[in-house]
Amino acid sequence: MERTKPYNRRDFLDGGMRMSLALGLGGVGGLLLSNSTGEDWVWQIDPFKCTQCGRCADECVLTPSAVKCVHAFDLCGYCDLCGGFFLPDANDLNTGAENQLCPTSAIERKYIEEPYFEYVVNEELCIGCSKCVKGCSSFGNGSLHLQIKHDLCKNCNVCAIARLCPSDAIARLPASEPYLVKGDFIESESTRSE
Amino acid sequence: MKQKAIYIFLSFLALAIGVMIVIDFNSTRNKKGKGNPYALDLEPFRTVDPALIHYKETRNILLKCDQPRAIFYDNNRLYIGADQYFQIVDLDGNQLLKVDLPDAPQCIYSAPGGSIFIAFRRHIAVFDQQGQHTETWEPLGDSAVITGLAMRDSTLFVADAGNRCIMRYSAADGKIQGIIEGKTSAADLHGFIVPSPEFDLAVNTDGELWVVNPGKHSFENYTDDGKLRTYWETSSPYIEGFTGCCNPAHLAILSDGSFVTSEQKLVRIKIHKPSGELVSVVAPPAKFVRDGKAPDITVSPEGIIYALDIDQKKVRIFEKKSGT
Ligand code: SF4
Ligand code: SF4
Ligand code: SF4
Repeated sequence: MERTKPYNRRDFLDGGMRMSLALGLGGVGGLLLSNSTGEDWVWQIDPFKCTQCGRCADECVLTPSAVKCVHAFDLCGYCDLCGGFFLPDANDLNTGAENQLCPTSAIERKYIEEPYFEYVVNEELCIGCSKCVKGCSSFGNGSLHLQIKHDLCKNCNVCAIARLCPSDAIARLPASEPYLVKGDFIESESTRSE
Repeated sequence: MKQKAIYIFLSFLALAIGVMIVIDFNSTRNKKGKGNPYALDLEPFRTVDPALIHYKETRNILLKCDQPRAIFYDNNRLYIGADQYFQIVDLDGNQLLKVDLPDAPQCIYSAPGGSIFIAFRRHIAVFDQQGQHTETWEPLGDSAVITGLAMRDSTLFVADAGNRCIMRYSAADGKIQGIIEGKTSAADLHGFIVPSPEFDLAVNTDGELWVVNPGKHSFENYTDDGKLRTYWETSSPYIEGFTGCCNPAHLAILSDGSFVTSEQKLVRIKIHKPSGELVSVVAPPAKFVRDGKAPDITVSPEGIIYALDIDQKKVRIFEKKSGT
């Protein structure tokens, strides 16, 4: 029999609902070119290194931050009890602000069919605080994650957040491939051996 | 005098600059800085009242493998699937048999004194107790992901997370006898909700099949023809319940019918009554790697719990504390 690599969660989800987040981010490609300083490199967050420290919200030179939460729909379980949307001890699974994790109510919960819900981030409201990212990775599939949006980012010489990031999660990427979207790239085997 | 004043001023200036550098260094360069105003505090869910912990870890068996995958107890032996092999060890960890496999085993089950069933992603292979390969069953479809095995008499129940169903096989010839979809009626919109490959099942000593519906945090008892007989569910991040999109990830049943559960992310092992109430905690989150993988679990008839710690690559053995 042929030898194959072990089967993991990523493979499982890849075989399920596949909706590419890259499509959404691809729409800003043109903006990126016009907005960048003409350099060949841009700053980006490695979502597998990010430890959700909250600094992306407050340390960017922009207010609100150029860092936003993005959603890899192909990794999402479309769960009713979403760990990224609800407070862990929410009283009820409804959209009341008192049940929501997000401090700005930036995540929209949309009913699809019993018992599945879609979670969409309203970028204008998102401040990049990573609270939902922490909830999603602690209780769910880790589909919510942070990215620096290049239609907003000033591509500073030294990213003010990268300087402070305790996880060294922010580094330069070639401007031709400006995003590290979960589900769209495979992190190193050393960091994920599921 | 004037020169002295300048020196004093310059000294203060140098000191002030030095202090500012140190402050800047502490607050930024060492990347500690201020606290996180958006922190999501999960410690209340990780903390367990010690009075609830009725078990203690008495021994463990270190495994020499890259990726432990599955464990099963039978007749004073542990059957362990890892990397691309399975092995049988005695309860002191001495290896009795090791068999190389062509692929990564996902689950393992040994029928008392009989065949050893190894589940790969899409199919089952059968071995005898000497490690001889005797049969390979017809694979399930491309989307199949086998995540659990349980047996009653000559029926092998196979949990397929990819297709969100339980296959009922004849263990004698590998023929499919039925499919359980977890729907109480044809009008149901959903059956088993399995957002990631964590979908387990077990048969209790009365021969009842119990299936975890992990997206609903429910335990569902089915007849062989797929009818839901009874269920209980409890969603909560606190120790009394289950949380996350796929929990519990693993299930075993003690001889008194209690459920032993293993959870991922907020990793913990607990015991619930057959009716669902929490009885005790076997191992709290503090015992495991933070945000780790759920240990596969198996139990002996005496109630000893064997947990395959995937992150720490060892079998951890938990026994009841005296007086609990
Ligand atoms: S500063 Fe680094 S660790 Fe903190 S939220 Fe941003 S990317 Fe994540
Ligand atoms: S919790 Fe924070 S990162 Fe997540 S959507 Fe809300 S503002 Fe954005
Ligand atoms: S490069 Fe500048 S604008 Fe962009 S995320 Fe970093 S600090 Fe913000």
